[in-house]
Amino acid sequence: MHRSIRAVAGIGACAVLLTGCAFGGGGGAAATSDPDEEVTLTFQSLAFQDATIQATQDIVDTWNADHPETQVEVVQGSWDNVHDQLVTQFQGGEAPDIIHNEASDMTGFAQDGYLADLSPYLSDDVVDSVGEGLWESVTIGDAVFAAPTVMQSYVVFANTAMFEEAGVEVPTGDELSWDALREAAQQLTADGRFGVGWGLRQPTAAFMNLGLGFDGTYFDVADDGSATIDVGEGELAVPEAVHAMAYDDASLDPVTLTQSGGDVLPGFLGGQYGMYVGGSYLAQQIADSAPEGFEWTVLPPLAGSAGGVQGTSPQTLSVPAESEHADRAAEFIDFFMQPENLAAIGQGDCLIPASEPARADLASATEGQTGWTEMLASGETLEAAPFQLASGYPQWKDQYATPLFQQYLANAITLEELQQQLADGWEQVG
Amino acid sequence: MSVITDAPRAQDSGGQDDDRSRSRRTRRRVWRALQYVALVLFVCFLGFPLLFLVTAAFKTQQELQSPDPQLLPAQWNLDNFIGAIERAGLGQAALNSLVVALATTLIVVVVSLPAAYALARFQTRLRGLATGWILLSQVFPFILIIIPLFLMLRPLGLNNTLGGLVVVYVVWSLPFALWMLRGYVAAIPSELEEAGAMDGASRLRVLVSIIMPLLGPGLVATALFAFIGSWNEFFFALVLIKDEALQTLPQRLALFVGSEGQVALGQLAAGSLLACIPSLVFFAIIQRRLTSGLLSGAVKG
Amino acid sequence: MTTVVARPEAPTPPAPARRGRRGRQDWSAYLLFVPAMIPILAFSVYPLVQGILLGFTDSQSGLGAVTTFTGVENYVRLLDYDLFWQSFGIGLIWAFAVTIIQFVAALCLALLLNANLWGQGIARTIALIPWAMPPVIIAIMWRFMLHPTYGAINGGLGALGLPDDTNWLGTAQWALPAVIVVGVWAGMPQTTITLLAGLQGIDDQLHEAAQIDGASVWQRFWNITIPGLRPVIVAITTLDFINNFNSFALVYVLTAGAYGTMLPMLFAYNEAFRYGNFGLASAMGNVIVIVIAAFLFVYLRAQAKARTA
Repeated sequence: MHRSIRAVAGIGACAVLLTGCAFGGGGGAAATSDPDEEVTLTFQSLAFQDATIQATQDIVDTWNADHPETQVEVVQGSWDNVHDQLVTQFQGGEAPDIIHNEASDMTGFAQDGYLADLSPYLSDDVVDSVGEGLWESVTIGDAVFAAPTVMQSYVVFANTAMFEEAGVEVPTGDELSWDALREAAQQLTADGRFGVGWGLRQPTAAFMNLGLGFDGTYFDVADDGSATIDVGEGELAVPEAVHAMAYDDASLDPVTLTQSGGDVLPGFLGGQYGMYVGGSYLAQQIADSAPEGFEWTVLPPLAGSAGGVQGTSPQTLSVPAESEHADRAAEFIDFFMQPENLAAIGQGDCLIPASEPARADLASATEGQTGWTEMLASGETLEAAPFQLASGYPQWKDQYATPLFQQYLANAITLEELQQQLADGWEQVG
Repeated sequence: MSVITDAPRAQDSGGQDDDRSRSRRTRRRVWRALQYVALVLFVCFLGFPLLFLVTAAFKTQQELQSPDPQLLPAQWNLDNFIGAIERAGLGQAALNSLVVALATTLIVVVVSLPAAYALARFQTRLRGLATGWILLSQVFPFILIIIPLFLMLRPLGLNNTLGGLVVVYVVWSLPFALWMLRGYVAAIPSELEEAGAMDGASRLRVLVSIIMPLLGPGLVATALFAFIGSWNEFFFALVLIKDEALQTLPQRLALFVGSEGQVALGQLAAGSLLACIPSLVFFAIIQRRLTSGLLSGAVKG
Repeated sequence: MTTVVARPEAPTPPAPARRGRRGRQDWSAYLLFVPAMIPILAFSVYPLVQGILLGFTDSQSGLGAVTTFTGVENYVRLLDYDLFWQSFGIGLIWAFAVTIIQFVAALCLALLLNANLWGQGIARTIALIPWAMPPVIIAIMWRFMLHPTYGAINGGLGALGLPDDTNWLGTAQWALPAVIVVGVWAGMPQTTITLLAGLQGIDDQLHEAAQIDGASVWQRFWNITIPGLRPVIVAITTLDFINNFNSFALVYVLTAGAYGTMLPMLFAYNEAFRYGNFGLASAMGNVIVIVIAAFLFVYLRAQAKARTA
């Protein structure tokens, strides 16, 4: 067998010499096409809920009717494997002209130089409609690699019937402090039922985004993507609070900490948990799956010592640097960013539009519907989380942060060990 | 027929006293009963999830998210099937998958049969080389080969075509098929061939009339591997096929899985169930061919 | 009649005839190989070799990224990549456990399906079910069944009066055993079918003859079934082991590598596709190849010895 492997390797070595190394994709400049030429652009959309798929198609149809020279064709992709698909497509120079994804996942592609700078093509209206902080999360140097469309915030859903039964007042107001959450959870815990269920199978993003409410930024990121880590009180406040609810107060079902949001939903709908923490998109699932007569609402945004601020990784649209029609693709993105379009997308997915006027549109469109006022309120305080721009973040997240948070939530390591090992892990990666 | 069966045949040993044969018969009956119990347990273990899939496909979203799950749906409603077909356009996808899987299976079987025979019977230098390559290609992580393969197919105009998928699936099922078939050929005693040759039959005739019938079940098993392998393959189809009209079933089924573990479970179950049916029909037809029973004939003749 | 007991691949005819015959055989062997070699040479050697060679470069993702040859640098780096070796150990436990359990269970099932029991056609089709299901749905379905509170598994255990609150996929203690069971389940059909087809190739007359000689069921199993099946057993256990070591899709959906289920392939996949270190990931692939090849070498040699002994 040794001999055979050597023989095979020999044949292959010749093949490599003949064809050159496959992993060196050539660099291509973003082209500007002849304005009269008719082109068809592919738009890989990841819309998942039926309503959003429809809204996306409607936007594209409207565009196509007005722009006979630039037709857009929707190709349905899936969140589950978009990353792998893009890696391969970028390597092979075959990425779709318009790419739908989320900012934290696109950062790596942008750092690798695969994405076109959109800033020359976006209209002033669009630029002004989105907060500066959000633009910063999709900018490297001076280049804007994506346009933020809609965002997710973490919200607390409440089973109002259970509150009433336990004689607990449903919290109202502008903010819900973590202490108030803890207190309500304790009051709701009784007879084998828990105050809170929280699907934290993938805890890193949740902890880091909510950490901003305690000024916990984790990283100090320089312009070139290099970063230093600092895990202090602010960073650890959220994990500590969750841990305390699970193990000190026993008001949070620890089993849910090992599950996904979807796994915990039946328990919330079945009255097992008085409150359910998760992404705002879950509102859509609650509305679809709740049994008859299930009464629920969304509580005010969670606030830490630094207020109700949360980090977010917005959904985005980008254009590959190698697209032959980068200018036209960017024009379509500009159109997509119009308030009525983003409002329709946000409504379909229960997500918050990145653009101010779109949020206003959505607020009037959803007036009186359960949860929307609170969800849109939480959207006001969303900020781009700085850690997304740190190069090496994905590796640190997979190899250190996620397993460490999981161990801490399983009560297998202490807070001090967590703090130490999170920082040590970054040294290993960086 | 094999080891644990064939109760009747042993009965001819004659001349034994009644008690012994009775106790033997009882033992045989107990043994049979145990076999049935074991078979039922296996069938439950392997088949239960299908039951889960069937019932989930007919349940409403409320039932699927119910904290008190019932085995059967309250009402057998077809909404999920309608939703799945509308949303994912499963008909065209199923046709694409079928074309690709059948073409792959056919090519793999035709091409690997002679080579497997040569591998099992001839001591050549090729044998070592082929064995080495087979193992290497199976052991090296497929995921790391995808990008070079993708880059190679593009200049040939094979990306975004079903033909390109067939090429890839043939190439990556071949080692497996070769290795399996080699095992089956090796299991056929070579005396059978030599006996045939001594009887004056030509080599080809020996192959066709003696080896082929014996190889039947092995060929069927190998064909099943090739078929299922290409029917279920997802990742390469994902990167190679861009046109929606050319997408395969696994690609379309992936659309029911959203971000953060969201799943349109009812529709996914309905779609998967529809996707399973062709394979199950294929299995039901082909499993008969797993019985050869021709061996004894060949030896006696 | 009993002359057929001869072992597969019996010694070749006497020496004098050998040379001439062998020349001819070489010829026809090459001819028989041609159809299979064409697609292999055209489409699989190049990407495979490319993949192997990448393991000696610093290849990274990036538009216009330049790749240079770095020799064994990647392997030196791998030496202190503790997380990789940790995952390698998990991979070995997983691959051995799944392959062995799968083989024993599939052999029992294949014998049963070969035993002329009533309902065998249906049973055979049902036994193939896991194979007909797309891997995504298998994993999602098992996640539902293993749900600690609402899952059918804990429900069933509860009905039997056993502890019913095990968090199968969410604890370091149970996650690996649970995914091993799912792995066994998912791979049962191919092993069973392969062994069943192998059983069909065993001559009934051998069993009959042995039975007349008074051999017990177990004696016949050890002395006839197992030797007759040996080439098929070797082929399928080898392939199962390789496939299991290389699998990750199932575990990826079940646990995403959490709670001690980070298989080496998942690890290499992350390295390449998530962090863009193609060179280092290919080096991991090469290390995996060498280790598996060593295991296979020992195993295949032992089997070959057993056959000629």
